[in-house]
Amino acid sequence: MNVTTPIEQRDFKIVGKSVRRDDVLEKVTGEAEYTGDVKLSGMLHGKIKRSAVAHARIKSIDVSKALAYPGVKAVLTHENVPRVLHYGSPHPRSASCTKDQYILDDKVRFWGEGVAAVAAISEEIADEALDLIEVEYEPLPAVFEPEDAAQPGAPLIHEVGPGGNLVIDPVRINRGDVDAAFAEADFVLEGTFSGGRPHPAYMEPNVCIADWDGSNKLTFWTSTQTSFMVRGILAEVLGLPLTKVRVLVDHMGGGFGAKQDLFQHEFLCALLAKETRRPVKMEFTRHETFVAGRSRHPCKIWLKQGFKNDGTLVARDMKLVYDSGAYGSHGPGVTIVGTTAATSLYRCENVRLEGRCVYTNTPINGAFRGYGVVQSYYALDIQMDEAAELLGMDPAELKLKNVVRAGDIAPSGHPILGHGLEICLQHGIDVLDWKKLRNRDRMPDPKQPHIRTGWGIGCEMHGSSAYPGIKEQGNATVKVNEDGTVTLLTGAAGLGTGAHTALAQIVAEELGVRFEDVGTIHGDTDVVPWDIGAFASHTTYLVGTAAKMAAGKVRAAVFDRAAMKLQVSPAEIDLSEGKIFVIGDPGRCMTVADAMGPSRGIPAANIVANGTYEPTKSYSFAAHFAEVHVDTGTGIVEVKRVIPVHDVGRVIHPIAAQGQIEGGIQQGIGHTLTEDYIIDKKTGRSLNAGLVDYKMPLSMDMPDIETIILEAAPDPGGPWGAKGVGEDPIIAIGPAIANAIHDAIGVRFRHYPITPEDILKALREKGA
Amino acid sequence: MKRIVELTINDEPRDMTVDSCRSLLDALRDDVGLTGTKKGCDVGDCGACTVIVDGEPVNACLMLAVEAEGRSVETVEGLQPGVDTLHPLQDAFMRHGASQCGFCTPGILMMAKKLLDDNPRPTDEDIRFGLSGNICRCTGYTKIFDAIKSAATEMEAARS
Repeated sequence: MNVTTPIEQRDFKIVGKSVRRDDVLEKVTGEAEYTGDVKLSGMLHGKIKRSAVAHARIKSIDVSKALAYPGVKAVLTHENVPRVLHYGSPHPRSASCTKDQYILDDKVRFWGEGVAAVAAISEEIADEALDLIEVEYEPLPAVFEPEDAAQPGAPLIHEVGPGGNLVIDPVRINRGDVDAAFAEADFVLEGTFSGGRPHPAYMEPNVCIADWDGSNKLTFWTSTQTSFMVRGILAEVLGLPLTKVRVLVDHMGGGFGAKQDLFQHEFLCALLAKETRRPVKMEFTRHETFVAGRSRHPCKIWLKQGFKNDGTLVARDMKLVYDSGAYGSHGPGVTIVGTTAATSLYRCENVRLEGRCVYTNTPINGAFRGYGVVQSYYALDIQMDEAAELLGMDPAELKLKNVVRAGDIAPSGHPILGHGLEICLQHGIDVLDWKKLRNRDRMPDPKQPHIRTGWGIGCEMHGSSAYPGIKEQGNATVKVNEDGTVTLLTGAAGLGTGAHTALAQIVAEELGVRFEDVGTIHGDTDVVPWDIGAFASHTTYLVGTAAKMAAGKVRAAVFDRAAMKLQVSPAEIDLSEGKIFVIGDPGRCMTVADAMGPSRGIPAANIVANGTYEPTKSYSFAAHFAEVHVDTGTGIVEVKRVIPVHDVGRVIHPIAAQGQIEGGIQQGIGHTLTEDYIIDKKTGRSLNAGLVDYKMPLSMDMPDIETIILEAAPDPGGPWGAKGVGEDPIIAIGPAIANAIHDAIGVRFRHYPITPEDILKALREKGA
Repeated sequence: MKRIVELTINDEPRDMTVDSCRSLLDALRDDVGLTGTKKGCDVGDCGACTVIVDGEPVNACLMLAVEAEGRSVETVEGLQPGVDTLHPLQDAFMRHGASQCGFCTPGILMMAKKLLDDNPRPTDEDIRFGLSGNICRCTGYTKIFDAIKSAATEMEAARS
């Protein structure tokens, strides 16, 4: 099936150009204001007392010494905060959220959970006061692994939910006749896969500031990807109308998905400010961003697939268990998206999938770039490599044979548009001369006999938008000012991707003005149109389309005014680079400012339009080609070269799109080789909650990345065919590396991270 | 105990009244109001707070404010040679997409300035090594390397 809706083509003036991003001048001069840079007069500092045990009832909390400590202004415990059961993942339009959190409870469910909060005149005093709070715990048996939590008779972590420590009922998908297909398969592959607990480790620790005014209105600065969701849940839990909660966020120091929960400290900050009638700032330490932040769900996968001898994939049976940690947060969404994703990537008519999401007494796992799909596609792609090995086929050839194509049913239930994945894979095979690479001389370099080189391919696809889990809506407001400049109002967060620049480019292109003439207002829920939040690789696709719609409407209104002034009909004029002219008679022209301003009895205009867009979903695709060097002496794997080939539809800002891909590869290399936030299996304590012990790839570790972006399968759902790009790279790179390691040393790893210890152990076993 | 610390910040003589246990980072951000320097970890792991003290890069979170007495501190706010002009590194970071969320940018700019001050023609390896104490979680570093190389070339051209 081909693209059915024609995608408008034009001679692009602004779209497709790497214009200077609207946020970078402030960033390179140090003027960009992040939440932690905001300082209000009389501001207090809040700190959280964290649980020293993983699972317990709180028998008593004595705060008297803390309250009496000079400089302490307020202390909150479960005894004096509102007790409202609320969502952690703040998506009211999602069918899959779980209400399982209180601001503070008389029970703790993981080591490091907040049990009390202090506001004081300085951070140091607040910190000291925490030590004066005496908590008496009645310990409960704790479970740290999903398999233990799922055992009959395991201690129950929550009273809500379906029971058995399940966060939601199991997600089950059945298509075709799996048993019959296995019976007809020529061979069957079966394996278990697992993934660790990578942490997003955004550079800006979570931070918020709360300030109540005399009319009992809360102004709340917070580093969030979902400011309207924060507003909604804060208002609900605090019992306020939305007019009494204003959420502000300007620049953000990253988020990568994890800053879309409503965090415990955010409620506590608002309540401390209310209690003290003074502004309160709460800023996480780096340790707290691990303990009280959100990580990727550890996952265990059992995967069995049946193949024909010609490489055709005929049956897939898969069970996935996601570890949600102590609360639901995004566990339901991740489980649904990750499980559903396994219907696709490599086409298979007979699939039986079961995804479970299980509570454990460990820190909360949440949304993180790749949202459940990182885990499931790691398994699918590696097993495809294993099948190729068994068949004696080139994995590139087997993948090319089985990748999804136009018309196949995507995880969303829609037919896939275009042959994006096939084109990416084939393109990489061609530019790398893959066959030659496969057949290269594999003798180790005599100067480095302990180094083995390997090449691997990883494939992925990912949706732009959270549909059908969430019925999304993108909004934008565009105003034309009387000097011909344009103001775009958007609720989309600026977490560092360049989203606001892309939106302004779209408005400028559609309207026909210069990029420099578009100003963007964002980050104030009292001012900008409602926004669902920046996640699911959807901002350009979703809000970009809304912005294009709004720009189209104001363009028509500007044309009406210009036509009146030029004394022609609107159909007879055109607009380019801010100039309106009569078609065929370009000498008769005026600027947008001329059209907008007053003249000859026509008053100045107030031209404003809204765009609202409710999309389904598009899919972006990528094939990553990675070269690794495995040191058989130390077990260290170095990723030397990555050629990521992506289809993202129409590219709005090439440098920003490349930046997403290269940064995603960095994080993906980390979670495949070195990154794992480790929780002690006996106590539930965090063992490496810091940036030295949690090892991310840095400047010395990064490979050469030769990014290739193809506009192979534009989607009519996005502006001029644009699709998402943010999450794709982190999904494809993992299996590419694991497959390359196999190519180098002949050992198959089915987990991440693949550590030097794992490599050495496997080499020893292989040698034995 | 409060102490008055006299020092030079971005070529301006300043004094700060600080607790003796206060870090230079907190003093710069909260007492002087120069919030361009960022706090990413407060324990010397991430490099977001890199400033230049008497010509040497330091993690401002690991230096006490009182230790800056009589010394010259350069921060990102002092990087621009003039109100309307940018340092070639600032310009190159913008053109090459070397700044995404921007939180590591001030520290990386200061480290890169020090690198180019000492070594005007750095190799790729020099740049990688020079930035090994600065965490960037957004860019994969590729565009930061490009920007520093480009700025080095421009600065070299401007000198000759």
